[in-house]
Amino acid sequence: MDKQELKKRVKEVIARVLEIDENEVSDDDNFIFDLGADSAQSIELVAGFEEEFDIEMDEDRALEVQNVSDAVNFIAEYVD
Amino acid sequence: MAAKNIKNLNQNMEKIFYPESVAIVGANKVPGTVPHDIIHNILKADFQGIVYPVSPREKFIAGAKAYKYIIDIEDPVDLAIIVFPSSVCDLALEQCGKKGVKSAIIISAGFKEIGEKGREREQKLLEIADKYDMNFIGPNCLGVINTDPKKSLNASFARQMPEEGNIGFLSQSGALCTAVLDYAQAKHIGFSKFISFGNKADINEIDLLNYLKDDPKTEVILIYLEEISNGRALMETARNIIAETGKPILALKAGRTSEGASAAASHTGSLAGSDEVTSGALKQAGIIRCDNIEEMFNKAIAMAYQPMPKSNRVAIITNAGGPGVLTTDAAISEGLELANFSDQTTAVLKKSLPRTANIKNPVDVIGDARAERYKVALSQALKDVNVDGAFVILTPQSMTDIEDTAQEVARVAEQYDKPIYASFMGEAEVSEGVDILQRNKIPHYQLPESMCRAFATAYNYTTHKQKELDRSELYEDVDKEKAQKILDQAKSEGRKVLTEYEADKVLETYRLPLPQRELAKSADEAVEIAEEIGFPVAMKIQSEDITHKFDIKGVVLDINSTDEVKQAYEKIMENVKSNKPDAKINGILVEEMIPEGEEVILGIHQDSYFGPSIMYGMGGIFVETFKDVSFRVAPLDRETAENMIEETSSAPLLHGARGISERDIDALINALIRLSQLATDCPDIQELDINPMIVLEKGQGCYVADASISL
Repeated sequence: MDKQELKKRVKEVIARVLEIDENEVSDDDNFIFDLGADSAQSIELVAGFEEEFDIEMDEDRALEVQNVSDAVNFIAEYVD
Repeated sequence: MAAKNIKNLNQNMEKIFYPESVAIVGANKVPGTVPHDIIHNILKADFQGIVYPVSPREKFIAGAKAYKYIIDIEDPVDLAIIVFPSSVCDLALEQCGKKGVKSAIIISAGFKEIGEKGREREQKLLEIADKYDMNFIGPNCLGVINTDPKKSLNASFARQMPEEGNIGFLSQSGALCTAVLDYAQAKHIGFSKFISFGNKADINEIDLLNYLKDDPKTEVILIYLEEISNGRALMETARNIIAETGKPILALKAGRTSEGASAAASHTGSLAGSDEVTSGALKQAGIIRCDNIEEMFNKAIAMAYQPMPKSNRVAIITNAGGPGVLTTDAAISEGLELANFSDQTTAVLKKSLPRTANIKNPVDVIGDARAERYKVALSQALKDVNVDGAFVILTPQSMTDIEDTAQEVARVAEQYDKPIYASFMGEAEVSEGVDILQRNKIPHYQLPESMCRAFATAYNYTTHKQKELDRSELYEDVDKEKAQKILDQAKSEGRKVLTEYEADKVLETYRLPLPQRELAKSADEAVEIAEEIGFPVAMKIQSEDITHKFDIKGVVLDINSTDEVKQAYEKIMENVKSNKPDAKINGILVEEMIPEGEEVILGIHQDSYFGPSIMYGMGGIFVETFKDVSFRVAPLDRETAENMIEETSSAPLLHGARGISERDIDALINALIRLSQLATDCPDIQELDINPMIVLEKGQGCYVADASISL
């Protein structure tokens, strides 16, 4: 999958789970510090990505991912 | 990490307790969460300053404008309270640094208490704080409360703001803080500052104790500790506080169990669970150690509410005989004295009280006493120059007006500069009276025993003059280099245990009293040595592989002839061969037989919190059975050494109990001081036992009968 396409879909998931405007999400945003995700939403994000891309991620590692760019790179490992 | 800049630290701590503005970084609007509760606590307490919620998503929180980042706030911020999850606390602290915030409280958990990952996070926080000259409390804490109406800050997620008071409370455990607040609320115990310091990554108990030392609102300091950052610094700080301000420090230290001690090779090691050393060290520093929260507050309110007792002479005013006797017993067993009333007091009491009343101390105002009768008896007792404190005992009889009596006690207390404590015995019927006493700062105790103990603690505190170690009492005739040389030799050979002969040589360099002795490599040599020393002699196996020589029958005492020397030599060798066949034998020590005396044990132990420590106790083979020992941190002065001896139950034996003549306590004190110097000068010594040391009659000295040293 094209990286740009992947990033777009990642941002859509983030916007949906955190109930924010997709345009408010930038590449370097930290899910917690910049976007205000709480602990439940962090888990929902992992579940949202798995559903969106039909993948199963290592949950511990997935929860370590803190920002949009890192999420894109991490998901790319599973999608490719 | 650079050393703390004290000037910055003091300024930054002042801003933690007295900020003009506070930012809650990571705030939210979700009830039941820490960020939500903290912001509401701050607002509910009527904080005298500006509050800035900082939240990535909210525009307004609790009616206040919220900022996405702390750097978005135009005005300066004095204090940041960080409530983000631990994974992003570093980002939050970094922004605080950029904003110029110098003080922070990091509430979040998930740091060193969870392991390596958390430890790394904590280290990162320290690096950021260092970079921006910031200081922070926490992480992993409940927060901080300042009841001073000038600020009224409840920067915590406790359920309530405590009443204002003069007790400063420090706690490593946040959860314990909530229990203490609840306990204190029920008893109207107020606090000046209430501080949960959690993992104490940056600001630790020493810094906070120093802050409370200079805090004019704090008159009594309480501290709950799980582990001690720096034992020696804690002792020095406490000594300074007590000497300079007179503020009493009471401590509750968790961890009284002695796991791991059983693995120690020496007697001293097995008796020195770190807790025993901690107890000795706290005592040495003047800190009053308590066993539980109740005891701590029983003692704290005595010292925080009422004047300190000028003597131990007390008056007891009671409306019931039995409780009067119980209180008398408790008072006497705590070392208090029942004051002898002056003739004038007796005359007035005789005139004022019914015929059936007991006008001697304890004064029994009898069962039908109303408040007025208590007032007369209490006032007269306190007027008496022979009385320096009073206990008011009340039992709820049908005629007793409990609340009025409580009010009267409070009124009388205002008129005299002498302490009054009360015990309204019972529970349900006396509760309103107790409430009145507590609101009026009359220390109340459910049991007379606790009341007497609290009074005795306050009295002992006033008589105990905290002083620096008297270095003039240390000896200059010791040879540190020579002792170290012997230790280095053993170390170079990879040995962890010195032979007794070597141990004796080390003790000799510090002039500890040893009997004449020489090492024999053969039976003939043993005979020669014995003849030179003169009979009787003792003979002991020498091997670094044998610590407890008696256990393997490696010792023969009271040898009176050359034939006996030869026999003893062969016998010891046989015993060792059968009981410890692999032991490397260095020879047999032939030694002057020490006359009979009292057997005591002296030891050195390296404590993880306090470093080189000294043990003293009842010696011989029962040392571990009776555990009649005391510990102090080295070096010792005379007074400390004497206290160590006197606090053991076996001390009377040295003073000449039951027909035994008085022992040479002075020589024993000298030995303890010398040993403490050795412990301080040679930290390679991990454990040292002198067991037994024989203390002879007064003027005859004391002798090391057996010694072992482990490196």
